[in-house]
Amino acid sequence: MHEMTLVQSLLDMAEEELVRRDCKRLLLARVEYGALVGVMPEALHCCFEILTRGTVHENARLELVRLPLRLRCPFCGVSFGEEVQDVLNIPCPVCGEFFGHIVEQGKEMILSRLEAS
Amino acid sequence: MQIPVIRNILEANEKMADKVRERLQQRDILTLNLISSPGAGKTSLLERTLRDLSGKFRMAVIEGDLQTSNDAERVAATGARAVQINTEGGCHLNSDMVSRALDKLDLDGVDILFIENVGNLVCPVEFDCGEDAKIALLSVTEGDDKPEKYPLLFSLGKAMVLNKIDLLPHVDFDVAKARAFAAKLNRELDILELSCRSGEGLDAWYHWLEKTRAGKKHGRSG
Repeated sequence: MHEMTLVQSLLDMAEEELVRRDCKRLLLARVEYGALVGVMPEALHCCFEILTRGTVHENARLELVRLPLRLRCPFCGVSFGEEVQDVLNIPCPVCGEFFGHIVEQGKEMILSRLEAS
Repeated sequence: MQIPVIRNILEANEKMADKVRERLQQRDILTLNLISSPGAGKTSLLERTLRDLSGKFRMAVIEGDLQTSNDAERVAATGARAVQINTEGGCHLNSDMVSRALDKLDLDGVDILFIENVGNLVCPVEFDCGEDAKIALLSVTEGDDKPEKYPLLFSLGKAMVLNKIDLLPHVDFDVAKARAFAAKLNRELDILELSCRSGEGLDAWYHWLEKTRAGKKHGRSG
């Protein structure tokens, strides 16, 4: 349940941004997370609700955007993602190299938008 | 009001991790964060390593555990300096816990610091503890598709240690398959096979530690 830690640090960051702009109440927070990041959306929503309940931010909305996995072949440089099936287990669709694929997208966890009043 | 932001959710943890790293860097300590599922043999690997290399390196251990101090006691019995962090149900260590643990640890003359994380292949991976490298420990009594199921750990790790190889004749673990999956996202991953029980393969692990420690010192002076 590291989702609780993540939501707490998300709320700490949101609080900082709100204070900086003289806002009081959080209405929406958008989080983009990579496909390799081990978070459960349901758990994030649940933790968000628990941590905002009874605070000025109660009823704020958490919007989650999953960023699909994209890998790049270290040899031919081609980038491939979820348009191919089973992206984690296949060799490079162009040159066939299996090893050392670089994760271009999939490890991020970003707070990308806030709405507040 | 719309507030455009682009901030890494883990930035507070990562800032603290950088402070921890700097603190350990100043003392020239190689720090390794040991991550595995429960029962893969983290504590056993440490017990063997701490005993066998006690003449070569001064080593210290930060022990992460949900409730007990059993592992810290096992580790301390080898004569190594150890400090326990109880997460009280928490599924991972973070940089703040490690920072506070360092306050309680005598770091004088320490060459290698091991952080034994909470047994879990998901949560600990996200939280940088200020280490130089993560070590993914796996055992042959688990599924050989673990690297495929938990790709982030194996893609971020510097080494994968495959433990309990003395049991290979009795289990269906496909070493080649596990190796291939692990190397798919991490070509630089060093893969070591060993058994803490029989001692097979431990020499290569000790050599890896020496090499990594020397590489760090060299990197600093150069």
